[in-house]
Amino acid sequence: MKLYDPTVAAAEYDHHRAPPLQSLKGATIGLLSNRKLNADPLLTETARVLQKRYGGRVLELAHKKNASAPAPTETLTGLAPECDYLITASGD
Amino acid sequence: MNIATSHEVPDDLLAAIDYCYERGWTDGLPVVPPEASRVEAMMQMEGRPPETVIAHHPATGLELTVQAAAVNAVMAGCLPDYFPVVIAAFEAMNKEPFNFHGSTASTGGSAPLLIVSGGVVDDIAMNSGVNLFGPGNRANATIGRAVRLILLNVFRMTPGISDKSTQGNPGKFSFCIAERADRLPWPRLCEEQEYPDGVSSVTVFAGAGFCNVENHGANQPEQVLMTMADAMANYGCISLGQSVVVFSPEHARILGDANWSRQEVQSFLFEQAKRTPDDMKHIGKFVPSEYQRQGQTDYHRGLNAEDILVTVGGGDAGGHSAFIPSWSRSRGSITQHQAIGVCIDC
Repeated sequence: MKLYDPTVAAAEYDHHRAPPLQSLKGATIGLLSNRKLNADPLLTETARVLQKRYGGRVLELAHKKNASAPAPTETLTGLAPECDYLITASGD
Repeated sequence: MNIATSHEVPDDLLAAIDYCYERGWTDGLPVVPPEASRVEAMMQMEGRPPETVIAHHPATGLELTVQAAAVNAVMAGCLPDYFPVVIAAFEAMNKEPFNFHGSTASTGGSAPLLIVSGGVVDDIAMNSGVNLFGPGNRANATIGRAVRLILLNVFRMTPGISDKSTQGNPGKFSFCIAERADRLPWPRLCEEQEYPDGVSSVTVFAGAGFCNVENHGANQPEQVLMTMADAMANYGCISLGQSVVVFSPEHARILGDANWSRQEVQSFLFEQAKRTPDDMKHIGKFVPSEYQRQGQTDYHRGLNAEDILVTVGGGDAGGHSAFIPSWSRSRGSITQHQAIGVCIDC
């Protein structure tokens, strides 16, 4: 008996990790909120603590449309060249 | 492009069922082994090539092809005549505002509710009557089950891994109903959705748990509707989310005999399904941004009357209607619909 497999092969992506930051000193911080309850104050306060400790600049808070959908490509490609690292997401 | 691989197994049906279990291809219940000739018969109902992509997972890139859908539809127990409904359901779920990934993965535990409207209901002998949400009809049961098997097998929405439902929902096995046209005092959903004459539709809604709304004493529209509005506004359900309301024929007759239009029913429900801001603060669910977004004095369910889908289904006897709340708290999934078996834009 010949059975067809109900699963499909995973998509192939050329994903790789970004090189680690050598230092946080003076680095520009990006913030991407997932709009979960309290995500915005959590992210801004975290950035404030990091900025106080290491200096640098904090970008204006960006938002996903909703917590459960992937961030739009244009949001990510817009943020990537503007910051050295990005803080995102929160649970609830 | 993903074309299904095949497995040669002994000609032993029970062993093939066990093989499907061993491969992790089931929803916990036994499946019909996806034997090649049955899969090919299923695909005959779809005019497009097997590799045609029907839906795409936005986070993982996994793709549902016609062939993968057919394999899972066979496993669910679908007859080939049901296949266009399965395909249309995923075309609807693939529309970005439905967010099938989020509504499946979330702790909220929703399941895609399918509401089939139009001539296809009788063509494939779907149940729109007695025991509407329960077992007993092959089309209802297996179309809904095929949706779940596709989410499990193709999109890998695995419980505990990528499906984090806190408590889940019995509709995650199967959640598919048909609209009862012969007891509907309003145009059918497929007509409201402005499909051409003769075209059926499937509506998809990320539904949380089913809420039975009982009133055997009501004989006025306001009594039926206040009972429903109370269920819609219960503290555990009230949110900015959309709603599905399925009136039983008894309740629908009370509304129809008084000549209430569907729009009047929707408006009444939206107006009455509400809590005061103080109520919401008292129980800790007041969210200022949501309240401001509604722009109402009280905190209502949904954003407007059109957020409440109203239809009819179930057996002739009984003052039992149903309210199905939306997934989770807000607007993460928006109801979608799709023509069945035809391409309207082609």
